[in-house]
Amino acid sequence: MQQDEIQQFLKRYFRAHECDIVEDYDEYLTVQLSIELDKELMNRPFYWHYIERTGGVPAPMKLTLITKQTEKTRTLKGERLHFGSPRLHQIFQSAQRRGGYIRLYEQAHAEPQASIPLHPWLGLNVKISYQCDRKKEQLLSLGLHLISGGIVEQFHEKLQHLSLTPKIPDYCFTISPIIKPISGIGRLEKYIQQIIERDDHTWAEEAIARWREDMALLDHFYEEMDEKPECYYIEKEALEEQYKPKITVSVINGGLFYLQPRSS
Amino acid sequence: MVNIEFDSSWKEPFLERIEKDGPWASWEMYQLALEAAQHLAVPDFDGLQAPKHLPHLTPLPHQLEVARQVVEQMNGKAILADEVGLGKTIEAGLILKEYMIRGLVKKVLILVPASLVSQWVAELNEKFFIPAVAQKKSYVWEQCDVVVSSIDTAKKSPHREIIYEQQYDMVIIDEAHKLKNNKTKNYEFVQNLKKKFCLLLTATPIQNRIEEIFHLVSLLKPGHLGNASYFAETYGKTRSLQTDEHLKALVNKVMIRNRRIDTGIEWSKRHVETVIIEFSKEERELYEAVQSLKADETFLKHQFSLITMLREVCSSREALYLTLKNMMGKYNGEMPPYMEELIEKINSVTVNSKAKKALELIQRINDKVIIFTEYRATQLYLQWFLQQNGISSVPFRGGFKRGKKDWMKDLFKNRVQVLIATEAGGEGINLQFCHHVINYDLPWNPMRLEQRIGRVHRLGQTNDVRIYNFAVKDTVEEHILKLLYDKIRLFERVVGELDDILAKLNMNNFDDYLQDIFFRSRNEREMKIKMENLTAMIDFADQIAKGEQYAAR
Repeated sequence: MQQDEIQQFLKRYFRAHECDIVEDYDEYLTVQLSIELDKELMNRPFYWHYIERTGGVPAPMKLTLITKQTEKTRTLKGERLHFGSPRLHQIFQSAQRRGGYIRLYEQAHAEPQASIPLHPWLGLNVKISYQCDRKKEQLLSLGLHLISGGIVEQFHEKLQHLSLTPKIPDYCFTISPIIKPISGIGRLEKYIQQIIERDDHTWAEEAIARWREDMALLDHFYEEMDEKPECYYIEKEALEEQYKPKITVSVINGGLFYLQPRSS
Repeated sequence: MVNIEFDSSWKEPFLERIEKDGPWASWEMYQLALEAAQHLAVPDFDGLQAPKHLPHLTPLPHQLEVARQVVEQMNGKAILADEVGLGKTIEAGLILKEYMIRGLVKKVLILVPASLVSQWVAELNEKFFIPAVAQKKSYVWEQCDVVVSSIDTAKKSPHREIIYEQQYDMVIIDEAHKLKNNKTKNYEFVQNLKKKFCLLLTATPIQNRIEEIFHLVSLLKPGHLGNASYFAETYGKTRSLQTDEHLKALVNKVMIRNRRIDTGIEWSKRHVETVIIEFSKEERELYEAVQSLKADETFLKHQFSLITMLREVCSSREALYLTLKNMMGKYNGEMPPYMEELIEKINSVTVNSKAKKALELIQRINDKVIIFTEYRATQLYLQWFLQQNGISSVPFRGGFKRGKKDWMKDLFKNRVQVLIATEAGGEGINLQFCHHVINYDLPWNPMRLEQRIGRVHRLGQTNDVRIYNFAVKDTVEEHILKLLYDKIRLFERVVGELDDILAKLNMNNFDDYLQDIFFRSRNEREMKIKMENLTAMIDFADQIAKGEQYAAR
């Protein structure tokens, strides 16, 4: 992540949460935090507890975030951010926590005499983690048409070309889903499972081979002992934790999208 | 087929929101959440993510290579055995960070010498943004994810029991050569720790015997070098790693050792100066009085202390006095006649010629200086003596508590000109901000000397390092300096070189060997010949080492 990207991300994050950007320069930002984000980011529960108990006037903090080192920012009081700094990661976490669930409608231009039906879709962005003693992650964006059961990949990318709004547009109406969201989730899980099963799993076979190899060494180490000491079992457990391949699928975010029917 | 686990924590709140018609995120918030996840995702099993997260840190090429190798080829279990000063802590930090970014490691136990605890905590926090915490209260074990502690604390009850209950993903042990003996409590403690990922750090993986590497490796990966009886049978007669290609190859699968010469890093230079000191008349008399005890029959049972006493006279009369006092304690009132004579001679010494010289030198240097001495009495005396002459100093000892060590280091860095350290204080502090070292008296084990110098001559030292070796003329000190250290060019060698040479000689106890030469030689000539033999042996091992290096290329 480049420093410019970081700054763009920060600006969008604070604006999306209705915080004023008081100073907006190429190399740094100063943000007036909202009460909500102060509580979320500044880690001062006692202050907020006190204000709420005494009915005091809340004074959320200002935050100066420096993304470029220049003559101007050298003496500036503020936090220097880069990819990897704890503050940025805290904001990443916050963004993920606050952007988990959504419901949107496509902005369709309908006339009073010819209203447009909007079809329900379930959209999920998921992360698949392949883990043994090493790890790889893959993101997947899927959309399920809750009428026909059809599944679309790269769903999020497709959504980005549409104009979306949180309120149902005039003269549009939504069609009730035939597939309930809860069973929609089940269908997408099944679909993901199929994708994973078709994958190349050499990585897992190799991990199991490494596991067996270390296990054989361990057995050899204690072979002369009739009764194995406790550390044998501890070590055995550690090897399992280290090598045993597993795949986890977690949802990053998702929601309901009501879209115009398309021929494709 | 690998088991697939679906994390269901997203589902419930979603259904609830449908029920209650919200709350929903805005489209921008939703997109930001996905983008954050994209930035944090680890796209590949291979390669290192950590450098991207640490733009302000510029690891050296060999450090990055070590991290990559440990993660990709050694499955996260390795002995990091770079020579002193090549940055093993940075390597360990990189590896730990990599695993944390990948979400493979969360709970971490880091065991280091007590004197290094706060330094590790600071480095992990400042350089790696890893929220490491020093273990000070017992709740820390459970509540903090990354804990740094000394092994001596950790192995004791109730800590030991609490630690065994934790599920550590990674265990890092610094100065791991202290675990070379499988009969110790420390070894047993570590053996019973669950080690999913594990790093053992040591600059001297083998100090004396080949079994040491067996014990170290068996801690990391039991069975890798076979079991105890197999190892004894197969490699028992092997004298060093170099002589058995098979063993060397096996060890190299779990151990990485970078040498200074391989790294291609420019190091600052070492300048070594020998400072010969002349005893005053009284000091000389005292020295000779001690030496004459060799023939004294009533002294026979203390014969072995003689060399120590001679070395003490060369350091300070206070050092000798302390030893005499301890000896007197063992007589019940009846003191042998020589004792009185010695005390008298001690009393008549009014100046310490060495201390005078040290003062002169410190005044001339006019910059930070570290003085190393072997004796606590000398340390105290020197502090007083320098104070009398308007120079403030701080003491440093191995026995200091962690906080006190940090405090002394800070005082030295920011306030006072001189730090006076005893031997035990030599290990485990980094003092790159200073580049003058006075060896007020010399240890007899060259490795210990190496460690002293290593405190200041390490990565990050930007100045040339100046080392002043003090020796009193016509004493054991001068002999050891001229006959041994100068001959083997100890001070000019690069860090770690000597380490190898001594390993080749399989010399178990260098100190005892020297002691023997000094003590059993009937005259100067015999001693000289013995010392020459010793230096010839070291030279020979040196030649072999060089030959191996050429052959390896």
